[in-house]
Amino acid sequence: MKKFALALSAMLGLLFATPSFAALQVNVNQGNVQPLPIAIPDFIGDPAGANIAKVVSADLERSGLFRPLNPKSFVDQIKSVNVEPNYANWRVINAQGLVAGQAQMQSDGRLRVDFRLWDVYGGQQMLGQQFFTQPENWRRIAHLISDAIYERITGEKGYFDTRIVFIAESGPATNRKKRLAIMDEDGANPIFLTNGSYMVLTPRFNPTAQMIAYMSYVQAKPRVYLFDIDSGRQDVLGNFPNMTFSPRFSPDGNKIAMTLESGGNSDIYVMDLRTRSMTRLTFDPAIDTAPSFSPDGRQIAFESDRGGSQQIYVMNADGSNVHRISYGGGKNGTPVWSPRGDLIAFTKQGGGFHIGVMHPDGSGERILSNGWEDEGPTWAPNGRVLMYTRTLQGGRGSQIWSVDITGRNERRVLTPGAASDPAWSPLIQ
Amino acid sequence: MPQSLSLRRSSAARTERAASPAGWIGAVALHAGIIAATLFTWSHSNLDIADQSPPVVPVDLVTIGAKTNIAPMVKVQPKEPPKEDVQPPVPEQAQPAPTPTPQQKEESAPPPEAAPSAEPILKKPPPVAPKTKPQQEQKKDKFNLDAISALLDKRAPAASSSPNAKVGNRTIKGIGQQNAMVMDLIDTIRNKMLQCWTPPVGAPNAQDLIVDYDLFLNIDGTIAQPPQLVGNSATATSPYARAAQEAARRAIYVCQPYKLPPERYNDWKEINPFRFDPRAMMGQ
Repeated sequence: MKKFALALSAMLGLLFATPSFAALQVNVNQGNVQPLPIAIPDFIGDPAGANIAKVVSADLERSGLFRPLNPKSFVDQIKSVNVEPNYANWRVINAQGLVAGQAQMQSDGRLRVDFRLWDVYGGQQMLGQQFFTQPENWRRIAHLISDAIYERITGEKGYFDTRIVFIAESGPATNRKKRLAIMDEDGANPIFLTNGSYMVLTPRFNPTAQMIAYMSYVQAKPRVYLFDIDSGRQDVLGNFPNMTFSPRFSPDGNKIAMTLESGGNSDIYVMDLRTRSMTRLTFDPAIDTAPSFSPDGRQIAFESDRGGSQQIYVMNADGSNVHRISYGGGKNGTPVWSPRGDLIAFTKQGGGFHIGVMHPDGSGERILSNGWEDEGPTWAPNGRVLMYTRTLQGGRGSQIWSVDITGRNERRVLTPGAASDPAWSPLIQ
Repeated sequence: MPQSLSLRRSSAARTERAASPAGWIGAVALHAGIIAATLFTWSHSNLDIADQSPPVVPVDLVTIGAKTNIAPMVKVQPKEPPKEDVQPPVPEQAQPAPTPTPQQKEESAPPPEAAPSAEPILKKPPPVAPKTKPQQEQKKDKFNLDAISALLDKRAPAASSSPNAKVGNRTIKGIGQQNAMVMDLIDTIRNKMLQCWTPPVGAPNAQDLIVDYDLFLNIDGTIAQPPQLVGNSATATSPYARAAQEAARRAIYVCQPYKLPPERYNDWKEINPFRFDPRAMMGQ
């Protein structure tokens, strides 16, 4: 009887035993795009530390990818930047990242800033850096820290240590003053580069140096000029009998593509800045303008009405192999190749003016901006964010706006007064 | 087990002792009465039980999870041809993603107390301080998380599109083999991840950002050991890939504990691959 019971229980055991060898397979393909909650307490030490933390916090918040937590919610404080934090105290406020830093004045008068980025849930350090600088440079230190955090979390370079050159507009509509102006990416330190005695349009940054090309109506003659930001010196780019406009630097900064109008026909030329020699690239009787180099310098996107309406075309850098890429309806112009190379931003006209992006082969067209009249996109040096001019309905002036390439985080860029035609600088060296 | 058996036996013995001859007779009479009532009726003509019984239909018994979440399948609307008279050239197919040999790799955590690296000293002071203050006008973010595709493309939606129907993009991949029994577990985890995972939507080359983890869980739904990268993602080292791996890792941690039925612990104690695929969120 005992043996029978044993055999029976063994059989039952075999019947009901669950096989436990297969792992569960889970494929997650939907998430929730939300900014990363991050705690940025005031940096300890010198009073400049609190200001640095505030600028870092504002930079990261502005990107739309981070959500700095309210310092009032903190239940712990940083006592030393070199001691691992108590992660549990930061997890209770749902911080996923923690930036701990300190600022110290050195005996030689320089400011030393240390910071560490901690992974609160993973319980490890993600980043640790140290800076020395003159105390008045604290804002740049803050932007460099923001760039480092941004890069560590997203995998791409930041864009906070950059500047924006733009056209500052002032005065009544009948006598509008348009001056070249420059400011930090966060709107701080705006200064005017020209005095407003002549009109300035379409500034473009050299991608490798702090130099600007723009069109100006000096003596009522529109021409392309070069402006060296460091020296303040400006030069006319070539002395042509007719108007030149729509300049754009090559990725290496050694050439400028621009449009030259002659006898009512506009064509694209490229000038070697070292030799000042010009090469004509397009020969079509239609209007060809707004050239923009690909980041490898091998191709140029431009707009042309050679097909009957304004559309975007791409050609090789020597002018060969011209082909149209915009087929999404409406008129399309002002193409700007992303520094990342994967997208071309443009202005679409049709039911208003909007900023869009498409792949260099014309596929995947998307409209990103929501305004009544948005035009003239410019890329952040990391190819992730665009700025553009938004003209307000009813003659209420123009503003500069920015949007992420996902179409999220569309927001106004702070400028002193009305502004248009933004151009984003490369990262400051 | 033996204890409960002996309890049952003693209770039955008490019942036997309580039974009396009168009870026996009553029970027999009652049963006989019921049998007799089934044999005799007032009318036999309406009895046609066999004819009224429904035909026997064979059925297949399929066991599925208690809860499934399959998106409704709808017809894909053909895209409108471009309005322009000129037809676009057919774009070349994108080159296939490289398929490196799957190789498992242990993720080694860097030492938590790495010394901070020295950075170059800044050279120049910034430009002159502003005289005019920037206007403090900001626009709040507008997130519509229920319409990711609408966020990606701000063109007006086509009037003909069905408002709440979408193509089932998870094409039944999970159904079949082992997954019919565990669909509810998979749905529970996926629904939870919906709140925790922020896909790297702005990065290029989404196909390179698929992340696979091997995750062991405790029976209370907490993480038993740090998740390990597996498959192709274990060998991906680009900054974008690392960002995608860390975003998925954060999501795994933030989402714990996973509320899963403990009696089925064997079904979910290991999740492998725990895949995070951002392509659908990136419109690629």
